[in-house]
Amino acid sequence: MTDTALLLKMTGIHKRFPGVHALGGVDFDVRPGEVHALVGENGAGKSTLMHILAGVFRPDSGAIVFDGREGVHFENERAAQTAGIGMVYQERSLIATLNVAENIFAARQPVDRWGVIRFKTLHARTVELLRALDMDISPMESVDRLSPARQQQVEIAKALSLDAKLVIFDEPTTSLTEAETERFFGVIATLKRRGMGIIYISHRLDEVFKISDRLTVLKDGERVGTYPAGELTADKLIGLMVGRDFLKGLQRAADEAKDRNRVLLEVRGLGDGRRVRDVSFSARAGEVTALAGLNGSGRTETALAVFGAGPRTSGEIRIDGKPAGIRSPQEAVRSGIGYLPEDRKEAGVFLDMSVTENIAAAHLASSRGFREAKSFYRSEADRFRKQLNISAPDLGRPVQNLSGGNQQKVLLARWLLVGPRILFVDEPTRGIDVGAKREVHLLLRRLAESGAAVILISSELPEILAVADRIVVLREGRVSGEFAQSEATEEGIIRCASIPGETA
Amino acid sequence: MRIHPGGNRMKWIVSIKHIRMTRELGLFCAIVLLTVLFSFLFPVSFPTFDNFSAILRNLALDAVMAAGMLILMVSGLFDLSVGGMFSMVGVVTGWLMKNGGVPVPLAILAGLAVAALGGFINGFVVARVRVNALITTLGTMQIFRGIAVLVGGPGITFLPESFSGLGQAKWLGLQSSVWLMFAVIALFHFLLRKTRFFRQYYYIGGNEKAATLSGIPVARMQIFAFMISGVLAGLAGMAFSARIATSVSVAGDGAELRIITAVILGGASLKGGKGSILGALVGVVFIAMINNLMIIAKISSYWQSIVIGIVLVLAVSMDYFLEKK
Repeated sequence: MTDTALLLKMTGIHKRFPGVHALGGVDFDVRPGEVHALVGENGAGKSTLMHILAGVFRPDSGAIVFDGREGVHFENERAAQTAGIGMVYQERSLIATLNVAENIFAARQPVDRWGVIRFKTLHARTVELLRALDMDISPMESVDRLSPARQQQVEIAKALSLDAKLVIFDEPTTSLTEAETERFFGVIATLKRRGMGIIYISHRLDEVFKISDRLTVLKDGERVGTYPAGELTADKLIGLMVGRDFLKGLQRAADEAKDRNRVLLEVRGLGDGRRVRDVSFSARAGEVTALAGLNGSGRTETALAVFGAGPRTSGEIRIDGKPAGIRSPQEAVRSGIGYLPEDRKEAGVFLDMSVTENIAAAHLASSRGFREAKSFYRSEADRFRKQLNISAPDLGRPVQNLSGGNQQKVLLARWLLVGPRILFVDEPTRGIDVGAKREVHLLLRRLAESGAAVILISSELPEILAVADRIVVLREGRVSGEFAQSEATEEGIIRCASIPGETA
Repeated sequence: MRIHPGGNRMKWIVSIKHIRMTRELGLFCAIVLLTVLFSFLFPVSFPTFDNFSAILRNLALDAVMAAGMLILMVSGLFDLSVGGMFSMVGVVTGWLMKNGGVPVPLAILAGLAVAALGGFINGFVVARVRVNALITTLGTMQIFRGIAVLVGGPGITFLPESFSGLGQAKWLGLQSSVWLMFAVIALFHFLLRKTRFFRQYYYIGGNEKAATLSGIPVARMQIFAFMISGVLAGLAGMAFSARIATSVSVAGDGAELRIITAVILGGASLKGGKGSILGALVGVVFIAMINNLMIIAKISSYWQSIVIGIVLVLAVSMDYFLEKK
């Protein structure tokens, strides 16, 4: 096939971020009427590549040919959209209180010469667009009254409303039910028939095989290869995705005594009425138990439900063999459970407060004294600064001056000060540099070895394999497999997490 | 290595920067300056014990209410119903002792109970039902004002002497409401600075989600803060009724915005996480000073609100610019 038959051709795309070579000369192309899947582990460079295409980032070097136009680097998202590239993001970009038509034509509503919106035209154009896409949605419906699947259809319609020739889907099925996913594939088929190029990013390998024509595998910012979907099997694909340098395992050598380690936390049949359907697992003193799974598999929600910070509609939690009726984080902390949240800025640190105050937070909340133990907190903060190697010149200064890695250590110190017997850590190394990552890993191990049950939630399999003693895999709100450290492989975990029917 | 001659001076500048120029301090300096200036300009009418004690008397009850407002604002909330509460509790207490035949101490307790209940309702709707504080207290403000008029008509006069005696009593030349202010300010200053329980309000205002996930009982504490604010406003309303031996049904109208202004001037922020009781007090004093100076200088009182409005916007914008730098 010649280049003229290509809708998009990206060659030698390089992108460096401070400290990371995110893309090291990636080639990628899409033909009209084709679904081209982009697969790879977290951090492989998929999002960076797509953001370059959509005008969010500029590449350091490399060439893009799109729709016969040479050398295009889109200055911004709007330029990419106008050129005919639509992106359907994982997170919704819709405004819930406005109706479907207003969302689709946000900021581009047809107006008369006085700037008054011509609702009739708006309405008619929306109807036309939705009909062309076989979507049965009323243009006047308010978006917040639509199901997630319908909202996604609106999102797609919005992406296509600018005569897109190429559409990028980033994990489009995460929040869809099975039936909704089927319907979504119907929409994809419609787009294909109309000759559109489609880039499909997903961790769900069964879907990838079902709908894509070709697959490109990225690993550590480089292209492993591009294959016709028919030439690959799930096994082969997983093999191509993994196999990067392993972090050296930190687990103790097989320890006979470990089997006698007491079960500290036992969760049976947990459900939250939403994402968590039926989760059972246990965590032992002295061990790091990992909760693995794709985004949306219910890992975080499981932790929140146990911690009393999220809904719990069914299931039983036992701490140290005794039933624990935890209804709030406060009760959880008093029962010896801690939770280090996934979103550090949003739910973790108190940005304007000092390092010391940040470290004191959970202890302050769970202790019972009358006076605030200021000098105690100061000396403890200083102890943790040395012990955890927190680089903070002044513990009295706001924590926002610290790097992400140091902020994360501050959050760990917050829990170490309370000394929980059970600690959930949710994506503890997301967005922090390699050195700090290693330190956090060592800390989690040390905490477990001191007798706590550590529960690690992570999207990074090498991290899980390097730190965890046991791995519980979740898929769509249920446990789909459990591995001892000795028998766990990336392949096995991915298979369990991403292919329905696979269990271990 | 040669030591740079300017090194010493640099050190000085750095150490000056370490003294944080807080809004509290800035406002306090402004008050001192104004006092000195006016003492020279109006040596006869301004720097007298009578004038200062009048200023204190006028600001005392605002300061009592500002303490409650400050706690709410530290936790990222505020209460528009304090003025309504002030009127309602004053009237309810007065009605009970005058028309209901309830003994004075019991009527006072009942008044405080009404205030606590009103505060609880505010807190419950905000923290549990999760209606935002603006809408909730905008509603209860009107409810409380309505109840005050409903119960008291235009007002209830000639309250029992055993009650008005409390409000008019003097000690060391200062009225009881001034002493009430000192007590409330001292108590809450201590609580908010030193106690474990009240420190948690700074965390709630700093990051509510993170506070919840740290095990701080956010909703319960917010309800409690509204109850404190309600009780302090009620207490102020009663003290006012006692001082003039009359329950005026519209006595507290407008207090809410005056107090929020004072508390923000004193360093608190609508975002929460910031502020101190002393700052709130300084804010109240500043507004009372401006008021007094206008009268002394015989400037139309309409200028008062213009000046305070300008100072408020200037002070807050200055913060914004300093923070950006």
